[in-house]
Amino acid sequence: MARKMVFVDTSLCTGCKACSVACKAWNDLPAEKTKRITSYQSQADFTPNTWTYVRFREEYKDNKMHFNMLKLQCFHCDDPACMKACSSNAIYKTESGYTLVDREKCIGCGYCAANCPWGVPKIDEATNKMYKCTGCIDRVENGMKPACAQICQPGAIQFGDYDELMPKAQARVAELQLTNPKAHLYGDNLMGGTTYVYLLQDRPGAYGLPLNPTTPISLTLWKDIVHPLGGIAIGASAAAITAGVIVNLVRGNYANRAKNIAESHDEGGK
Amino acid sequence: MKFTRRGFLKLSGISAAVVASGLGFDLEATAAHGYALKLAGCTKIPSICHFCSGGCGLLLHIKDGKLVHLDGNPDNPINEGTLCPKAASLAQVAYSPERPKNPLYRAPGSDKFVDISWEEAYDRIAKKIKEVRDKTWTSTEEITNAKTGAKETVTVNRAEGIAMIGSAEVDNEESYLLTKLARLIGTPFHEHQARI
Amino acid sequence: MSPSFGRGAMTNSWQDMQNSECFLIAGSNCAECHPIAMKWVNRARAKGAKVIVVDPRFTRTASQADIFAQIRPGTDIAYLGAMINYYIENKLYNEFYVMNFTNALYKISKDFKFNDGLFSGFNPETRKYDYASWAYQLDAEGKPVKAASLDDPDCVFQKLKAHYSRYTFDVASKITGIPVAKIKLIADTFAAANPGNIFYALGMTQHTTGVQGIRCYAIIQLLLGNMGKAGGGIQALRGEPNVQGSTDMANLNANLPGYIPYPTNQEKTLNDFAMKKGSVQYKPLVALLKAWFGKNATAENEYGYQWLPKNNPSNMPTQTHFFGKMEEGQFKLLLNWGSNSTVSIPDRKMVARGLSKLEMLVVADIFNTETAQFWKEEGLNPAKIPTEVIFLPAAFVYEKAGSMTNSSRLIQWKEVALKPLNDVHPDLDMLDHIFKKVRTLYAGSNDPKDEPILKANWDYGPHEAEPLKVLQELGGYNDTTGKPIATIGEYLAAPVGTVSTGCWIYTGVTPEGKNLADRRGNADPTGLGLNKDYAFAWPGNIRVLYNRCSCDAQGQPVDSKRKLIWWDPVQNLWVGNDGPDVVDKTKGPDTPEGKTGFKQNPEGVGRLFAATYMSGAVATPTDSIAAVPIRGAGMTVDGPIPEFYEPIESPTSNILHPEVQNNPCAKIISTEFGKPDEYPYVLTSYGVVEHFCAGAITRNIPWLNEIAPEPYAEISKNLANKIGVKEGDEVEVSSARGKLVVRALVTDRIQTLKINGKDQETIGMPWSWGFASLSPGPSTNNVTMAALDPGAGTPEYKCCLVNIRRA
Repeated sequence: MARKMVFVDTSLCTGCKACSVACKAWNDLPAEKTKRITSYQSQADFTPNTWTYVRFREEYKDNKMHFNMLKLQCFHCDDPACMKACSSNAIYKTESGYTLVDREKCIGCGYCAANCPWGVPKIDEATNKMYKCTGCIDRVENGMKPACAQICQPGAIQFGDYDELMPKAQARVAELQLTNPKAHLYGDNLMGGTTYVYLLQDRPGAYGLPLNPTTPISLTLWKDIVHPLGGIAIGASAAAITAGVIVNLVRGNYANRAKNIAESHDEGGK
Repeated sequence: MKFTRRGFLKLSGISAAVVASGLGFDLEATAAHGYALKLAGCTKIPSICHFCSGGCGLLLHIKDGKLVHLDGNPDNPINEGTLCPKAASLAQVAYSPERPKNPLYRAPGSDKFVDISWEEAYDRIAKKIKEVRDKTWTSTEEITNAKTGAKETVTVNRAEGIAMIGSAEVDNEESYLLTKLARLIGTPFHEHQARI
Repeated sequence: MSPSFGRGAMTNSWQDMQNSECFLIAGSNCAECHPIAMKWVNRARAKGAKVIVVDPRFTRTASQADIFAQIRPGTDIAYLGAMINYYIENKLYNEFYVMNFTNALYKISKDFKFNDGLFSGFNPETRKYDYASWAYQLDAEGKPVKAASLDDPDCVFQKLKAHYSRYTFDVASKITGIPVAKIKLIADTFAAANPGNIFYALGMTQHTTGVQGIRCYAIIQLLLGNMGKAGGGIQALRGEPNVQGSTDMANLNANLPGYIPYPTNQEKTLNDFAMKKGSVQYKPLVALLKAWFGKNATAENEYGYQWLPKNNPSNMPTQTHFFGKMEEGQFKLLLNWGSNSTVSIPDRKMVARGLSKLEMLVVADIFNTETAQFWKEEGLNPAKIPTEVIFLPAAFVYEKAGSMTNSSRLIQWKEVALKPLNDVHPDLDMLDHIFKKVRTLYAGSNDPKDEPILKANWDYGPHEAEPLKVLQELGGYNDTTGKPIATIGEYLAAPVGTVSTGCWIYTGVTPEGKNLADRRGNADPTGLGLNKDYAFAWPGNIRVLYNRCSCDAQGQPVDSKRKLIWWDPVQNLWVGNDGPDVVDKTKGPDTPEGKTGFKQNPEGVGRLFAATYMSGAVATPTDSIAAVPIRGAGMTVDGPIPEFYEPIESPTSNILHPEVQNNPCAKIISTEFGKPDEYPYVLTSYGVVEHFCAGAITRNIPWLNEIAPEPYAEISKNLANKIGVKEGDEVEVSSARGKLVVRALVTDRIQTLKINGKDQETIGMPWSWGFASLSPGPSTNNVTMAALDPGAGTPEYKCCLVNIRRA
């Protein structure tokens, strides 16, 4: 199957949250008890039962209201940090571009959660498994749109083949840039290029997104250099020792995400 | 550092054989998961959303008489398969434990509802309609003719004591019978939420 | 809309929105309350259309706007009047359209006056107008006299010009709080676009000046020539799934199905009715009586006219009034179908007092609503409430067959998709059972009062009522052919008394062996979104009302990209992509019939000025049907042209005429009112995308409670600072009528306005919560006010005075 793409055009999003409900309806996810947090947002973060939600950010500047609404879900990175961090090889990529977890292999170690720059994976304490957006792989593989893209009335969530949709996304940005120089794509060149690509109308921080999400160096070391070598050339016990050292590094990466978002906030109107 | 797709494959250390297949990723894992669609074997029946007046098409996927999934109807030209959050949630009405399972009755002064049968409910309602209709019936009234100024007695046939609040949330056929029923039993006091 | 165009319905369709060049969305938060609109608005935006949003809050709809203006609630007529003034003064109107398709040239009676906020004919005792002076000058045949040019001082156009000359941008800005430059920008942007489209919903109707606000839209669209065109029109975005249908079916005290005026005690006989309402109302009433009484309806017994209960004009309560009538003891029994008044009616204490006085309350609904459980509300003592309550659990929309009519008059049929899990039944069955039971109780009665029940035509199946049989009754039958009516043309051509139909505007929906509401052809060959083979739109499957106005004097489309209909001189016929909305398809553009743009108005033109007028023969009593007049004009009870009045509870005085502060005809039901010194802030209430109306269904849906768990009060940062409240703190909002505690949502989306030179705060609160359900919450209608628009009976939910403090 050709590589897929979902284009989230925030300039068309009305924050109706139908994507969040459609996700729950398709994936049989129960509702959770919430409280309004800020603006019209009540879902605070991803949970094992909330795989997509809308983040609301309000900003009033130059006598103009900026009401930024952002649907969040797994970006399905081409080079996912979660997959690198996974201690049990439970996370894998599909040809169509999706990052998935095999819950039979998942041991709930949480390294994926610790290392995702967007904080997407969540470990369910009851089952000790990781849960996150599947990109509606079952629908996509059967020729349907993901539930969130299917439902979206204003047309803010578009789905298609990467090669066809990306030029449209680029054209849309170019069109918006005529009146708003801050309009840009987000995700297309992050983490190897993401399957869910955003059109943002302001700097990422205005949406609470990290400016420059990266895979921690420690993980790259672990997964791309040490681990492959370990699997092939190093003896089992030596590999275990190396792994132990690296795992401590991996665990430390929780802090990265918050720092990254804070930095992009500080970066102001760039 | 900018990753290309091929670069990622290399860095990920996937074997040359898999790369050469042109598929790249874990083909076996994909196949093992199967991605069976839960809609397989469902009958698709179109309906209409119950909320705003858009008239968006719903599509209910039914298997063995049970609702498997509720989607927007892609063949309805109004919404082309899209829905708002309220419509998207409508599967949760079908089997909601909050829905009363049978008619309920609250006696005067009581602090609770009790279950009653449909027969008893209809019986009580019909008898009450007759009782109130009979005791509040106005067959004629005296008016001042707006044109001539003369006093006249006119037939008005009104059951003054019965009011009906109809609904913008039922079907046309139901809405029509609400009007017809109200007028036949003698009440012009029939309103609904169109005004509010 | 009806007094302007002849029909009250949304003029175009959802899909048609893709054809617009500009949207004025004012009084509608469509991204939240009619989300499907955004699909089609965005199609138009992708082609360059502009979006203007005017709202008391920066809503999710406003997030999509090119131009947003924050307005003080209830002051729309001030800036709309300024737009009208600007268009007239700067000749931005469409002269061909105004001359040909409106009553601009018609001369108005010399008796018509407007002084200091009052039109001529006002009776201060009854708070009603006598419309006599709002008439045209008539010629010897009783036809309106037309002026030679728009400069004639007696003509409608000059009346309009004089009336709105007071509405400068500066005055409008002082009243509304919208800066002068922004009002001008809105006016210029909207006038420059062709076609421009206007959306409104409850944000415009829920005022004591709601009808007149909509009249402003009508005047603007007629001046700019936007009516009857693809991408133009006025979209009344109606609130409930079948509110168009239930209005068509006359769940209203002043109508019978198909907008037949409801007979009052002044129309003693059927002939009296015909004389007063004209032949266009007489014919459908006879057809309705034939549908209701079948063979028992004959010419000899006035088709059963005497069996209809007659209204007493001095006692015609609307829904909001009902509860007062219960309290007074008139109503003993309330049959309540799918309506949750305990949450939805303003001034809720009044509702509880009324329901507590009933002998019996019957509620049919999906979930056990607050209304059915009103006696359980905290603060009430059930032991002291004698009302018997019966709750009937109803089947949900997809558990029953039937049709619903959407906002754009599209009648869509659905079959049963899912059998209900429990022993719940469609409302149709309930009504069928109840009527048959009542009929059994009266069996054998010789009392004339029981004749309507015993003589009625009521046969929808022996066991479960069949909805298709009911739809066929609406679609109608032709006695002459013995068959279902095939088209509305057949109905219109048939002699009086030879056709029966439960709702004449639905004729043609069920021709023999067919159900056109169930058509599924979704092709769109024109790309205009007409979808003519999908379901069935009344009247006669016309998708864009008044589409004759999309053509020039030769009957050819003025917009080559958006062709709806045209005159085909070869066939001698009006034809087109849409069904032609013309008097007679065979009458060309050179005939009076072929020039008529608004055939439902007695003048045949759009009414800039809603004048008193009856077309046809002069109404003198006679037995001959031929002598009855034809058609009366729809009237606006509070003035022939819109005037700005302050809301009933207002923080300021009316700067146009301080002596006439409010709408002089407004119907006041609430008894407690607040003054600005005690209640200095303006509250506006609204719905949200996550919940629906009174929330009886949506608050029982866990997925929706998750995304909108609680009500709140939206306040500006200035107000938050003033009362010492942070985001999320609890606040008490109070009015003269009640109070409630919610958490504050402190936002920049509401700004402090400058009104008549003073700072003014607005508070916004959603109203969809009540004390029952999975997600209970306090009801905003504790504080709102029961004061009604005099024409529509709609309460002024959108503005009242409140105070707010940290709870």
